[in-house]
Amino acid sequence: MRIVRLSRRQRLLASCAPIREELINDRSMRAAVFCARGSDEFAKQQSFDRAVAALVQSVPIPPEIGEWFSSESPIARPRLRWKKTAQNPAVLAIGIALAVIAGVFILHLFEHLHDFSGSETAQRLLTIASSTRSVLLDPVRTDAGALGDLFFMKHQLEHYDVPPEFADFHTLGCRVFDDDEGHRVAQIWVIEKRMQFFLFPAERNAKTGAAVEFSGWRYVEQEGWTGVVQERNGVCFMAALHGREKDLAPYVSKTKE
Amino acid sequence: MLGDARKAQEVFQATLREATLRSANGETSSDPFWFFRDARWRCLEASEHGLQAEDVDLQKHDLSPSAPAQIERLDVNQLAIWISAAPEPQRTALAFFYLDEFNHREILSLAELRIGELSRLLADGRRQLQAWLDATLPQKEAK
Repeated sequence: MRIVRLSRRQRLLASCAPIREELINDRSMRAAVFCARGSDEFAKQQSFDRAVAALVQSVPIPPEIGEWFSSESPIARPRLRWKKTAQNPAVLAIGIALAVIAGVFILHLFEHLHDFSGSETAQRLLTIASSTRSVLLDPVRTDAGALGDLFFMKHQLEHYDVPPEFADFHTLGCRVFDDDEGHRVAQIWVIEKRMQFFLFPAERNAKTGAAVEFSGWRYVEQEGWTGVVQERNGVCFMAALHGREKDLAPYVSKTKE
Repeated sequence: MLGDARKAQEVFQATLREATLRSANGETSSDPFWFFRDARWRCLEASEHGLQAEDVDLQKHDLSPSAPAQIERLDVNQLAIWISAAPEPQRTALAFFYLDEFNHREILSLAELRIGELSRLLADGRRQLQAWLDATLPQKEAK
């Protein structure tokens, strides 16, 4: 004889277990039947109930009554309400998981909304800008626009020119160094708001080797520093300062006017 | 519920008339079990008249593995009379349960019972029916 241990509630439910499996549409009842299924007592109960139900089904129904029941089920089952469906733990878990995935996706989308080719290098250079001290640079006092010739003559850096918007700013110093990826980077320190300029090669297409172009000025932020970047002739120029986008915007908008 | 086909037909027709009247007056119920509730109350009302079953403690036997064979030999009218003689609310519980159209929550709502009560009424009903089967169709005879 197989004896299955059931909780009191499961015993109560198993005793009322519907005869047809289709009618077991309740989670607690399904669990109780599942647990009770192994017991001889429950097996006897089920075969007893099936036999009685089969006998009941054989009750003759007068034709004048039978014709009222044209459909197989005389009971209109209530539709599943969305509130009850939403309270189902499985649906709830799927909903939460989808919400988290959607949240991560949206966050990722917002993070990369303003990305452009070279934005990663620009962010790295902003980190360098935040840690650079003026003593690291060679003192040069001139207009920033004049340094393009110096970079070309001294370091053979072609098109490392400061755009007209920032060309008139007086410099404190400059240097040329190789970044982590071996790219030649020119760094200029100017008096105006202690801004720093960077000139570095634009990202290149891995297949064709051509510089990936983008138009206009693009902003990039990193650890309280903001940079505004422009690409021209395969070289990116970035003006960076410790502040926000609104501090740099006036310099860039000058040209538009 | 009534153990009498003629009375059952009268209850059915009365319920149908009531449903038609309500429908004509635009009073259709949103309760999907309205028909069964109404029929049940009419059955209870109808069974108050006429012969009444004696209030006795019926014997109870454990369910037997040969019970299905015993039930097969039973006449359907005998079963109907046996169920209709059960005291309320056991009669309602047995009738709705063996109609095999409702889940336990629906039976609880229709019979206005709690789960503990329904469980006890059904379990007692099975054991009482088994005792009656053993008395009327002994197992040896059933085999």
